Amino acid sequence: MLCSLTPVLYRAFGNLLFSVVKPRGFDSPVLFVAMVAALVAVFIYAPTEREMGIVQRIYYFHVPSAISAAIAFFIVFASSILYLWRREDRFDALANSAAEVGVLFSAIVLITGPIWAKPIWGVFWRWEPRLTTMLILFTMYVAYLMLRTYGSRTEHSQRFAAVFGILSFVNVPLVHYSVKLWAPEQQLHPIEVMLDPRMAQVRGISYLAVFLLLRFLLQRRFVLEQMDRAIFQLRRQLEGSN
Amino acid sequence: MNLLGQAWAILHKDLLAEWRTKERLSPMAFFVLLVLLVFNFSFELGGAAIHEIGPGVLWSSFVFASLLGLQRTFADEYENGCLDSLLAAPSERSGLYLGKMLGNLVFLLAVELISLPFFGLFFNLTPGLYLAPLLLVFFLGSASLAGVGTLFAAISCNMRLRELLLPLLLVPMILPALIACIDATQLVLQRRPPVDLIPQLQILVVYVIVFVTLSIILFEFILEE
Repeated sequence: MLCSLTPVLYRAFGNLLFSVVKPRGFDSPVLFVAMVAALVAVFIYAPTEREMGIVQRIYYFHVPSAISAAIAFFIVFASSILYLWRREDRFDALANSAAEVGVLFSAIVLITGPIWAKPIWGVFWRWEPRLTTMLILFTMYVAYLMLRTYGSRTEHSQRFAAVFGILSFVNVPLVHYSVKLWAPEQQLHPIEVMLDPRMAQVRGISYLAVFLLLRFLLQRRFVLEQMDRAIFQLRRQLEGSN
Repeated sequence: MNLLGQAWAILHKDLLAEWRTKERLSPMAFFVLLVLLVFNFSFELGGAAIHEIGPGVLWSSFVFASLLGLQRTFADEYENGCLDSLLAAPSERSGLYLGKMLGNLVFLLAVELISLPFFGLFFNLTPGLYLAPLLLVFFLGSASLAGVGTLFAAISCNMRLRELLLPLLLVPMILPALIACIDATQLVLQRRPPVDLIPQLQILVVYVIVFVTLSIILFEFILEE
């Protein structure tokens, strides 16, 4: 029963993953419109928050970036499993692309966070659970990228990276839980309360824009990765024929 | 031979080799001593510092020492071309992993127990029965380090920059276990009742179970031809 189901599951899940990175003709204009709309909404339309003031507007990019990083890391995890299972090169390419984009988005989170924190907490950095967790995640996936960069382009290295990608994602809840236990009274992130309906609208627009950016970057990175691999193959063939 | 038999064969071989050469234990233990010495110059370890930084110093030196030892996990096999024969043997890869992992666990525990008296000496630690829960913390912490470390040692021994890569991979991955170990050690040194350690020990147990299981499953993919 399960055996007959697995190819179906694999195909469904694989297709779902690759539908994320499938290039579409209207990608760039849609992203452009969404980004401009988000900027206008965040900086002009959205009301200024009463207690935090203008710096609260960072929230509209900070939070969706964190979610985007999480989505990217999940894609690394899923495609690493699929790679080890099916050994299709495209899954490995997708994992590498997603890891890079995920590191980018977590860097955005780690940069926008302190900018917001300076006026609110009084300091750029607190060893606060979510911040610490994000930093540890960031280091894990930078290590993943180093494993890829310093490894040779062999099937070996691809398997190693897949194993590391799986372990990293499994580690996330453990990191979160241990950091929370280590600094329990330190949770300093504000609880989300949307008082003004305009804030909710702006949030919708900015989330959409950031998610479109995530998709766009993933897709472009994936195309680049595949070109890179094709060039590598060609070069190797050329060296072989000489 | 079943899985445990295979693991035991590997473990026995490694322990015997170590007993004859002492190539891993002595450098590791000496290194812990050196790290403690270095920390002393920056923190003045004796006195009140023990509760503040003691656990962090102790576990940092253990992690550094473990990196030295883990580096050697497959080094002998790799350098002498033994790994291929081990892989060609009619045994399971997971047996090889388990044996190597248990070997690392034994070495780490031994180093930790050797260096604990020095730690106590430098920090003016009062010996007593209240330190007993530390053994459990040491055991679980070493099991976490050995569990992930053995897998990553297998990865990095196949790579070009092997000495460089292992710490980069291991340290971020080990952080949750390390945080729990430092936390628990701190509680023990503060003479808190052992019941207070339960949340930390829970994390460690979950960490060890999750990562050893995953490593056993994933080890096949690391040493595939």
